[in-house]
Amino acid sequence: MAKKSLVVLLILALSIAMFSGCGKEETGENVSTGTDTSSQEGTTNDGNSNSADNEKEDVKLDILWFADGVETEAMQNVMDNYKVENPHVEFNMIEVAYSDLDSKLKTMIAGGTPPAIARVTNPGLLFDHAQDLSEFMGGYDTFTEQYMDSLEPYYTKDGGVYAVPMDVTANGLIYNKTLFDQAGVDVPGSPEEVWTWEEFEQAVIEVKENSDARYGLLWDVTSHRWSTLLYEFGGSIINEAGDGPAINNEQGVAAMNYFKKLHDTDVIPKSVWLGGENPNNLFRSGTAVAHLSGNWMLSNYRDITDFDWGVTYAPKQATRSSVPGGKYMMPFKNTGVEEEAMKFLEYFAKAENTGQYCSDSLFISPRLDNSELDYEYGKEMFAIFSNELANTPPAAAKDWSRQDIMPVVNPDITDAIKDVLMGEAEAQEALDKVAQLITETIEAQ
Amino acid sequence: MEHRIKQKKRKINIQRALAPYLFVFPNFIIFFIFVVIPAAYGLYFSFTNYDGLSEEEFVGITNYVKLFSDSDFWDTMLRTAIYSGIVVPTIYVFALGIAILLIKEIRFKGIFRAIIYWPTMISFIVVGVTWKWIFGDTFGIINYLMELGGQKGIPWLSESFYATLVVIVATLWSRIGFFMVIFISGLQSIPSEFYEAANIDGAKKWQMFTQITLPLLKPTSVMVIMLAIIDSFKAYPLIVSLTGGGPGRATTYLVQYIYRFGFEKNQLGYASAMSVILFLIILITTSIQFKVNKGGEI
Repeated sequence: MAKKSLVVLLILALSIAMFSGCGKEETGENVSTGTDTSSQEGTTNDGNSNSADNEKEDVKLDILWFADGVETEAMQNVMDNYKVENPHVEFNMIEVAYSDLDSKLKTMIAGGTPPAIARVTNPGLLFDHAQDLSEFMGGYDTFTEQYMDSLEPYYTKDGGVYAVPMDVTANGLIYNKTLFDQAGVDVPGSPEEVWTWEEFEQAVIEVKENSDARYGLLWDVTSHRWSTLLYEFGGSIINEAGDGPAINNEQGVAAMNYFKKLHDTDVIPKSVWLGGENPNNLFRSGTAVAHLSGNWMLSNYRDITDFDWGVTYAPKQATRSSVPGGKYMMPFKNTGVEEEAMKFLEYFAKAENTGQYCSDSLFISPRLDNSELDYEYGKEMFAIFSNELANTPPAAAKDWSRQDIMPVVNPDITDAIKDVLMGEAEAQEALDKVAQLITETIEAQ
Repeated sequence: MEHRIKQKKRKINIQRALAPYLFVFPNFIIFFIFVVIPAAYGLYFSFTNYDGLSEEEFVGITNYVKLFSDSDFWDTMLRTAIYSGIVVPTIYVFALGIAILLIKEIRFKGIFRAIIYWPTMISFIVVGVTWKWIFGDTFGIINYLMELGGQKGIPWLSESFYATLVVIVATLWSRIGFFMVIFISGLQSIPSEFYEAANIDGAKKWQMFTQITLPLLKPTSVMVIMLAIIDSFKAYPLIVSLTGGGPGRATTYLVQYIYRFGFEKNQLGYASAMSVILFLIILITTSIQFKVNKGGEI
């Protein structure tokens, strides 16, 4: 008798577990490996409300998404507002970790089920699979005129518009105010007082020794972030003419060797680039002096309460530099909902909507008419980031907008840096290898 | 009447002959669809320059030629062979040892067996993440305890030697249980009369082990070693979630290397060629082993 009731109970428990699992729509994967630095572990989301419209057919838009901070909510606000006028549209946000974005997207496209829209950072790789928006948006010139010039090569090609810019990012220096105060070290208060790398190195060492700090400078594990140092040393990845590599020149080797030196002297902890430790987590623990990251981390770090943090000017060497970046919303072909996807993007592209999204997420807007956004938090920090961007040599934007080269050589640059840090290759040797790949990639075009 | 009986007999004979094939059929279908066909596609792609998105072009044996001069690939192959060379014998010795201990009539043998087998049921990714939290340089428990005790933490995941060690430890922890169970069943199938007879003849424990246990365990041993070798060459999720292949490339083994080329660098043709080579290596290793051990016959 007891056995029977036990069996019944077990079956009941299993069925309850099964049906409760059926409630939410599970569509995203969220495994983040150690080297993932610029994203959050996200949860999957059901961004839909009841679609009660009967005139238009119900449409479901799959949005492949990743987030670093609170931009998911900001985007959902935009979507909710859009649904007021368009209740027949249902949004399905598929959230993944940034490091999984590429492979997830490519698998979806290769499998014949591309998402309606995807948030991407390297649109250039996918132009062939994207829907051309130029006609829908009122013409190539009409559309591109509204956005920053430097972004054009990222989302356009041969007169076609293949993505809508969402936000612009700038690399910069975030620091732990509490630790700096404990050690009694000052940071530059204005662009005129920007420190050199030597001065900054000394400052980090001093703060580390005279406060509760355990780790020095944290640096995200991407070639994009590393290239900040490259440009500050006066180097670049691609040469001026744009037809060959420059990364293995004197400045490139000097930048690489300096980066290695910072690791060898423990100014930068080895556990980030080599041990797979996540710099965001390290900074949040309050034991790291500074984090060379970018403005996208502001909304992420906003909820830190155990210590004070701020943004200051990144050090200079031959010159100051930041590195611009951006996120784009790209509509895909062969989804069956191209029209509805473009309509939503048109809505998003409106000044007030992009502006609202950016100020909610604490991002810089790519639109020329959004230069004075009313950020409710961190206004001074944004001023510093804008100043950094304004003092960035053109090489930075020119290099990274080369969507025909950068996505291909990007992983090899990261590998080269790791090889040098591990002592498995000399800087010149490792950079020559990258230069070789750049040459091959250009020739293959 | 006789004719009917003969017909019935033939029908039964045919059914008897067909029965095994019918039992195997469902598994075969699944195996064919999910393993054989993709493998055939892989072979096809290895002769093209497929990038995962656009139309592929046939390029003949270009990928294979490139492969033979790719020093990184052979370095990775060597690293994988070293990893395998350490993991396989260690698994064999430990699994067999534990199995022998847990075959005896000790009080909590059921619980011990369960505890040792439990890690096998945990997904590799969970195992990797768990061990990362134990051995992590900055947030790991071991370094935390060491620092509490006044020692400086060890760079478990930032130095190649320690990272390899951690990967091996995690692999052993998660796989020994599986092979222990196989050994237990192999040991239990050895008739106890042999041991009794040997005891009467005055044989020592070690002699009983080397002259009775090991030889009679041969089929099981061959299977364990074969499976362990194949497993170690295919090691991927545990290592990627534990070290990400790092530091640098110190724990990047074949499957991860292939994955990077295929899905991060978009060179699926080249990656397919590498996986064909991996397949051949495993095939040859296993065939040699099989032949040398006469298929595990005692």
